Amino acid sequence: MVVLKQEEMLSLAEDAVKFALKRGADEAEAFTYQGLTTNVVIERGQIARSSRIIDRGLGIRAIINKAVGFSYTNVLESNVTIEETVRKALSSAKASKPDENWHSLASRKPLASVEKTYDRRIVELRSEDLVKVASVMLDAAEKTDKRVFPIEGGAGASYLSVAVANSNGIANFDHGTIIECSLATIGQQGGEVTPVCFEFNTERSYNIDPEWIGKEAARLAASALKAKKIETKSTNVILAQSAFQDLLYFTLINAVKADFVQRNQSAFKGRIGEKVASEIVTIYDDGLFSGGLRTWRFDGEGAPQQKTLIVEKGVLRNFIYDNYTAKKEEKESTGNAARAGYLSTPNVEATNFHFMPGNKSPEELISEVDDGLLVYYLQGAHSSNPASGEFSVVATPAWKIKNGEIAYATKGAMLAGNIFQILKNISALADNERKIGQLVAPWVLVENVKVIGK
Amino acid sequence: MKDILMKIVDRTAQKFGAEYTEVRAQRLFKTMLTLKEGRVEAAKQGIENGAALRVLVNGAWGFASVGALNFETLNEAISDACKMAKTASSRLKTPIKLIETKAVEDKVVAKPREDPSKISIEDKINTTMTMNNKILGYDNHVKSCTIDYLDLTGTNYFINNEGTYIEQDKLYVWSRITAIATEADVFTFSREEIGSTSGYEIFNVETPEIVGERVAKRAVEQLKAKPPKGGTFPVVLGPNVVGVFAHEAFGHLAEADLTLSGSVLLDKLGKKIASNIVTFYDDGTIDGAFGSFKYDDEGVPAQKTLLIKDGVVVGLMHSRETAQKLNAKPTGNARAEDFRVEPIIRMRNTFMEPKDYSFEELVEGVKAGYYFKSFRGGQANLDGTFQVGIQEAYEIVNGELGQPVRNASISGNTLETLLKVDAVGKDFELWPGRCGKGQTAFICDGGPHIRVKEVLVGGSA
Repeated sequence: MVVLKQEEMLSLAEDAVKFALKRGADEAEAFTYQGLTTNVVIERGQIARSSRIIDRGLGIRAIINKAVGFSYTNVLESNVTIEETVRKALSSAKASKPDENWHSLASRKPLASVEKTYDRRIVELRSEDLVKVASVMLDAAEKTDKRVFPIEGGAGASYLSVAVANSNGIANFDHGTIIECSLATIGQQGGEVTPVCFEFNTERSYNIDPEWIGKEAARLAASALKAKKIETKSTNVILAQSAFQDLLYFTLINAVKADFVQRNQSAFKGRIGEKVASEIVTIYDDGLFSGGLRTWRFDGEGAPQQKTLIVEKGVLRNFIYDNYTAKKEEKESTGNAARAGYLSTPNVEATNFHFMPGNKSPEELISEVDDGLLVYYLQGAHSSNPASGEFSVVATPAWKIKNGEIAYATKGAMLAGNIFQILKNISALADNERKIGQLVAPWVLVENVKVIGK
Repeated sequence: MKDILMKIVDRTAQKFGAEYTEVRAQRLFKTMLTLKEGRVEAAKQGIENGAALRVLVNGAWGFASVGALNFETLNEAISDACKMAKTASSRLKTPIKLIETKAVEDKVVAKPREDPSKISIEDKINTTMTMNNKILGYDNHVKSCTIDYLDLTGTNYFINNEGTYIEQDKLYVWSRITAIATEADVFTFSREEIGSTSGYEIFNVETPEIVGERVAKRAVEQLKAKPPKGGTFPVVLGPNVVGVFAHEAFGHLAEADLTLSGSVLLDKLGKKIASNIVTFYDDGTIDGAFGSFKYDDEGVPAQKTLLIKDGVVVGLMHSRETAQKLNAKPTGNARAEDFRVEPIIRMRNTFMEPKDYSFEELVEGVKAGYYFKSFRGGQANLDGTFQVGIQEAYEIVNGELGQPVRNASISGNTLETLLKVDAVGKDFELWPGRCGKGQTAFICDGGPHIRVKEVLVGGSA
């Protein structure tokens, strides 16, 4: 299959919009998506497979009398199918019900520039190169500790391109690259199996360190051996980025979405200007973050992505908006409309949720804790109460901290509490910021977290 | 379709020397709705056509996925897949082999009483709107309600170089309903899912009124609930929680790819890991259930697979690759979400077999503990640590149900917990759901009520 170029991506979208208007839509918007991915996969200690996935398609929103219809197709080769898709969007709109709050599609605005989101070297990577990357990870893990088994992982390179056009004159194109490599391991010794340990890099530029990933994934699994049960009590907890991302994704990030606020599903409703977190907490939603995993020039509706202040020194400042929720409050979109490729309509979603770092090294953070836990990963964060922010999760793996040093791995300890209380109890931030999914954050030290042990 | 696919498969063996070749082509149609407080966010329809091509060359897998079904594109993709496999094989230690299976030629036609693709979008909006009105009208504490609806219809074409050719209709009807109730600064959250492979007639059983009331009532009743005490307690688990326990805590460990990755079950085959009253199945053959199908995505017939019999691990869930590796019979558990991804081992309908206790008898045996009726999410780890979040729970005090409890979750080690099951009820329920393992699979899980001597309850009080 031939890669679609900028002009082709744009003209597919623009033609679909024109056709929808001709067929009677009041407004129309089309989104073209193209993703080319090459993967090399590690399974049970060896490189076992390689794949190439080409996925592309077109999604069309048509609005008739304030009712929204959507249709998509991945068959782009023929005008007949595209016209059929437009017709389906129109028939969906006709079958649907008018929405009194519908105002209009996004309007055309100047776009900011973005940095480090496209790297030609990633586009040119072949599966042979990815096999090398995966081999380096595997070898590094094997050399680090004999008790460690690399269960799965791999390396992948993607090229993505998107185009949005609408009846307000938007016609935007952007493209970018992503490279990922990861290794999941377990430690095994005398009948004991550790929880899964995991390390990875995900970057927009060809800037990965497979050797470090292999070593670190193995070191984590080895140090998770000889785990002990711990007592139930309230204690200090250091959340590493993966654990923190898991908790925030299902609670706090929802609470700042205008959709959740407007629909009475957010504990932050009506609390702009109030203190909601410890004074050392400052958070941006930064759609333009240099090299950010979710950095693009525009969002899923063609609105410019931007940097939005969410929490300033503990005080709630703003929510994030897509076009619909913004217009409902007579505001401007903050460029937070996300899409699942061509398959879905836009939804309010964080871009790069940037939790600003502190200035302590991770070692210093640990050294400040007399008694506590270092938590790398959580199990069950998705069962949190998304509205109240209450969670009850298992910390696996986690390590006991005693007198400022890591003492031993813990077994099956649960953490329970409320994310909004956690935000208030954050007492220190490390300087080791990294990108995980939507989150850009350092390690955080939280005081007085309920830990349920044996 | 068949001619194109046969030509592709024939060429691959000749041209690239592949040991194994399969092509899975799909034509899929979807209708989706999202309602937020009765506002139709958008009525959505989609077409997806594509093919997944998988080969074994020199003992390594190569895979290509394309969103097209014409000969030229597929021919190019299969050559890609073979090249990918050759590259991957360069560092192979143990070549991959597949267990032999009987070649099958079959055509599986869906026979819904009410075909979702023939029902108008207006009717689907009406069904979800009725549900919405029931929920928002139930009590003025119910502040918001989100309803997602999906139906998927279409055909899968599967061919391999061993003589198997299967055309299989796909049909799924699914809905997720969530409601949030608030009072002062308390937020409660309630959710249900509906899922079926039979047809739109599922809404005649799980009517919008019944489901709407179930969701709304739970959200409102939880407003009066208190947080649980953290610690170790005896518990009674409802069928909905037993199902997710069977699926998450045990099921994933018994997916042979994860067992081989070092799950705690690896050296437990044939050994007793649970009390005598514990029997678990994973069954792909239950008529109309959300996890049922006739053939899996390797062309293997789905079966009813016994996993634990009277406390002893007797089986695992397999793909052709893991069945060969462990010298077991294939079970038909290889599933792919769609043509974009490779088949991996997935559960189907996973459940615990009922025994002889009544619900009252189970509760009577608990002095101070909890009744966990309905779950909200669950997750397992290879070391056997499981977590199941609970959306509906009650205290048990001196053998009787007490006050509602909210935002609890249970955890423990699967192997320790299965030995602590001390009584199994005689009722049975099967619940539809979705399982994530990189890809989404439609499944069911369930069982009877059971009693467990102790589990760790995560609470904030």
